[in-house]
Amino acid sequence: MAGIAQSGVTKSYGGQSVINGVDLDIHDGEFLTLVGPSGCGKSTTLRIIAGLETQSSGDVSIDGVSVNETRPSLRDLAMVFQSYALYPHLTVRQNLMTPLRLRDLSFWERFPLLGHLLPSRRSKMVQIEKEVQIVSETLKIEPLLARKPGQLSGGQRQRVALGRAMVRNPAAFLMDEPLSNLDASLRVHMRAELSALHKKLKTTFIYVTHDQAEALTMSDRIAVMMDGDLLQLGSPEEVYQNPQDIRVAEFIGSPKMNILPGHCDEFGHITCAGLSLDGVLANPAPGPVSVGLRPEHLTLTDAGAAQSLSGKLTYKENLGSDVFFHVTQEGSESAIIIRAQPLAATPQKPGDTLHCAPVPGKPLVFGADGRRLDFNHVASSGKLA
Amino acid sequence: MGRSKAHYWFVGPAIFLMLLLLIAPVFVAAALSMTDYSLGNSGFNWIGWENYEKLFSRRSYSKMFTASLTYVLLVVPISVALGLGSALLISSLRIGGELYKAIFFLPVMATLLAMAIVWEFALNPIVGVVNDILRSGCDKSAIYALLSGSWLGYDPLDSWYGSACEKKFPLWLGDRQYALGTIAFIGIWQAFGFNMVLYLAGLTSVPRELYQAAQMDGADSAWERFKLVTWPMLGPTHVFVITISSIRSFQVFDTVEALTEGGPSKSTYVMVYAMFEKGVRQNLLGMGSAITIVFLIFVLILTLVQVYFVNRKVHY
Repeated sequence: MAGIAQSGVTKSYGGQSVINGVDLDIHDGEFLTLVGPSGCGKSTTLRIIAGLETQSSGDVSIDGVSVNETRPSLRDLAMVFQSYALYPHLTVRQNLMTPLRLRDLSFWERFPLLGHLLPSRRSKMVQIEKEVQIVSETLKIEPLLARKPGQLSGGQRQRVALGRAMVRNPAAFLMDEPLSNLDASLRVHMRAELSALHKKLKTTFIYVTHDQAEALTMSDRIAVMMDGDLLQLGSPEEVYQNPQDIRVAEFIGSPKMNILPGHCDEFGHITCAGLSLDGVLANPAPGPVSVGLRPEHLTLTDAGAAQSLSGKLTYKENLGSDVFFHVTQEGSESAIIIRAQPLAATPQKPGDTLHCAPVPGKPLVFGADGRRLDFNHVASSGKLA
Repeated sequence: MGRSKAHYWFVGPAIFLMLLLLIAPVFVAAALSMTDYSLGNSGFNWIGWENYEKLFSRRSYSKMFTASLTYVLLVVPISVALGLGSALLISSLRIGGELYKAIFFLPVMATLLAMAIVWEFALNPIVGVVNDILRSGCDKSAIYALLSGSWLGYDPLDSWYGSACEKKFPLWLGDRQYALGTIAFIGIWQAFGFNMVLYLAGLTSVPRELYQAAQMDGADSAWERFKLVTWPMLGPTHVFVITISSIRSFQVFDTVEALTEGGPSKSTYVMVYAMFEKGVRQNLLGMGSAITIVFLIFVLILTLVQVYFVNRKVHY
């Protein structure tokens, strides 16, 4: 178990910068997820922690000790790769034994044939077999031990890859999109299993994914990365409810947050799509702003209601537990998405005109530079006389 | 509705040509190997297994098998090892890899017969460049000491180089002791570039993530990673390279025909050359066919071994 810290890490390939100064402080025993769209630098960050790539500048330390010059195997980290990277010519048992053999046996004890003659090898091998047994019981892969990776299903391979990481009792687990090669239902199942495993092992997990659902469901904290920058680091609730950047707001949450163009006047009042919002900006900055509204923060209203948006229902997405209405406003290209309960959503048909209003206090306001602005809800008094 | 017969017309021509050009000649050769037929004779006698009895009892034929097997056992391991070694070195290069690939592959593309003639000049005992270079080192004390081992305290006359300087350098192709080795050297020089290209192709198919997994697992040295990842992942390539190299070295003919004609004293009398000498030069078609059939059996065994390994050992 260990805390891992990164400070001012940058990486560039031939002049092209892929990470621009990332600071991360990962606590001991934490499940931290690096999430972001592909190409945002999250995998590179993980590889720099692992030591598979060297940072262009900045420091990485494990338990307060700088590991900039330490080779991967001595950092005491284990990695689960997206492709699992199991040795295809070895059986599952041999795959699980490999990290232990390389760590515990000396060069001569590992030497082909000759090594078997050394007496010290025997007791060490017994110990290794025992550890492999324990891990395979934990992961329920005992029946697979004699098989080769080619004879396993995707889910089984994933477990074996996890097992190979676990046998060494590493200080931290690094996982590079470990679930992305599994089918949807298995992925959901493995999410729960990984969480349970983390609770049981109480070891630091650093998990890379592009899937915001994985990040929200499993993590203690989420680090959202984009274009080589760390945009926000916080608990899943915080990142979802309080995004500090418009890119975070759009990336986290499914369906995406609705972003509407708005305008701020000199008093800090916001108007957007014909509505004036209940609230005032703490630091008024007259000019264009963006207003973010999650689908669940819009409610359907009657036709005549004041302060409502209206548009044509173009698409009705029924997920069983929820229904999402895609509503296109007149003169607008993109649709606004509104969440509704299935019972309330039966009469509407595509082509109907729908009216909706934001839930007071929920709109988020972002400045022209994409940073979140401090927008305080003031009940109904915000309207100009 | 009756079934169409069109499929026969699709496969028919190919099967007919294969039977006519490949299968039938094998049976004709097998039949001829039981006769004393010579080209131009109006008839022949069935002599049963007599040709094969000669083949496995006469000294000149046992020399033939020795020459062929020695050649294969020299060329295959060395050209495979060199091919793998050079492929590993080239793939680890950042720049200049293409240049080395081209250089090592040149002998493969060159006509072997033409190259054999060049080697004949180079290896000429009196005017050849090889002995010239060797001889020029005799009176340079540093080179002499290094090559004769006298810098380690050995008697220079005990070493190969020291005694050759004292007496004379080998005749190479004209010397019974050296001729087959020299032919094998040319064979290796010509073949290893081909093996290198096959290994380079094999190396590109090894996933990068496996090396990274090995690094995380503690395979720190390049040798450990080679043992854990590269060598086993090249399994299918090994089988292919070794089989192809074996078959190709069994087929060695050009260099022998151009340089030694099987001599001196049959030390380079390899199978395909024997086939040519018996069947074409001496017009003993029966004997030539018998050698051909034995040769075919050797190649067949090699192919079966390859099929076995492809199906069993290296299948993940």
